[in-house]
Amino acid sequence: MFFLSDVLWAQKAGNPEEEYEDAFWPRIGVSGESRTELSVAVADGATEASFAGVWARQLVRAYCRGILNSNNLRDSLLKKQRAWARFVERKPLPWYAEEKVRNGAFSTILGFSMRDGDGTKSSGSWDAFAVGDSCVVQIRDEAPLTSFPLSNAAEFTNNPFLLGSKPEANVGIDSQTKTQTGTWQSGDKFYLMTDALAAWFFREAENSQAPWRALRDLDTDELPFRPWLDNLRDTHQMRNDDVTLYRIDID
Amino acid sequence: MAYTAEISRNNPSCFLFLIDQSGSMGDNFTGEVAKKKADGVADAINKLLQNLVIRCAKEEGVRDYFHVGVIGYGTNVGPGFGGSLVGKELAPISEIANSPARIEERTKKVDDGAGGLVDQKVKFPIWFEPTFSGGTPMCQALNNAKGVLQRWLGQHPNSFPPAVIHITDGESTDGDPSQAMSDLKALSSNDGGVLLFNLHISSNPNAQSTAFPDSSANLPDQYSKLLFEGASVLTPFMRNVAAEHNFSLSDGARCFVLNADLVLVIQALDIGTRPSNLR
Repeated sequence: MFFLSDVLWAQKAGNPEEEYEDAFWPRIGVSGESRTELSVAVADGATEASFAGVWARQLVRAYCRGILNSNNLRDSLLKKQRAWARFVERKPLPWYAEEKVRNGAFSTILGFSMRDGDGTKSSGSWDAFAVGDSCVVQIRDEAPLTSFPLSNAAEFTNNPFLLGSKPEANVGIDSQTKTQTGTWQSGDKFYLMTDALAAWFFREAENSQAPWRALRDLDTDELPFRPWLDNLRDTHQMRNDDVTLYRIDID
Repeated sequence: MAYTAEISRNNPSCFLFLIDQSGSMGDNFTGEVAKKKADGVADAINKLLQNLVIRCAKEEGVRDYFHVGVIGYGTNVGPGFGGSLVGKELAPISEIANSPARIEERTKKVDDGAGGLVDQKVKFPIWFEPTFSGGTPMCQALNNAKGVLQRWLGQHPNSFPPAVIHITDGESTDGDPSQAMSDLKALSSNDGGVLLFNLHISSNPNAQSTAFPDSSANLPDQYSKLLFEGASVLTPFMRNVAAEHNFSLSDGARCFVLNADLVLVIQALDIGTRPSNLR
């Protein structure tokens, strides 16, 4: 496959950069013609939990290393949950931090993998798995072809189901784990987004706008990312939340 | 639109508890023989402060999303915190987190993740001790709260408006508090007026437990009616939180609860203090 990928991200307006609690993997965009497959993931750690950014980062790495997927979710989660517990228990905590850690951390996960078709580098298949409201949209011929796991703005709520860092928090996880498969061809674009950006995207599309053009053109001289984002937040078109956009552009 | 301001460390909000500590708070809750009203209210306030602290806790410490104060009124009217917070009108939530008067250890049953329950030791910090003596100087307490919030709003003009949670069992002994309640609600930030919750733990034998009514028609006496009239109307966000507690409320529902048992006090506190837009 011939593709370019990159990632744009921003913490909530008013917060320092180290308080960004979304996560993505690989850490830098990759591109290549020697690859036959690609895996990327984004996640959104819950603001009200502590150590949620750590949990989100563990999840995206685990997905891209093939450790975490919808087939072995419970078992692979257990390993990650133990790793999270080791991380947060490495030093004594004050009473409130101890209580907070007892509640665990929570995060969405959206994992996306694509691979070449048999004997061709210009088409192939993809699959995705998601818990929560981080979304991927597939754009073909200047129009959305597929969106997953959500497809309209009204589906975003304040309390999506999230993957917990404590086993007892994940009751009902099987019914909340979504999977999707599809095919890609040269010229397709995939945008993986955390919820604030995805909700904006669907709202714009529902208002007969073409938000995929902005996502395509972002981070160019004509459309620098941060001023664009600041404007959407300042004009209340986008909720003030951590934002992550992973772009895959297939040649 | 009112009540939409983002609550952040640069733009915190405020909770002020106004607690009746008159002699009659030494009576038991209706329907409960073993718990004094003063003890139950102190437990509820301490639990709520604990929940607020935990809600604001992140790995690096406690984020100051809120400033919190407690005013007690009985023999005296004034700040009600214990420990090193004694005498403070309002304190940032991080200071409250780090300054409980003491920390008790209690046991609670928790889900073990495999269909069973296990005992878990949890820490229960105490900031506010139960006391009860003297009369019910409600007007003085409300005026005191007004002064505290006037000063705070002067420093935080764009904040999500402060909420005052007033818990009382009695009749004011220093005059009709209606004007003092109106004056308190007339204070505002640029995002809306101060919200006043009245939780009335009535001793009237005819008082039925009532939560967030939209009319005073079924209230048993002038004291309940007065506290109902003085209470704010619930914001839409608060009505949503109330729905999580299985209350189905009309648009005119007031921030008023009559003859609350302890569970209802805690539910009402959650409805009154759940942050709507935390950054």
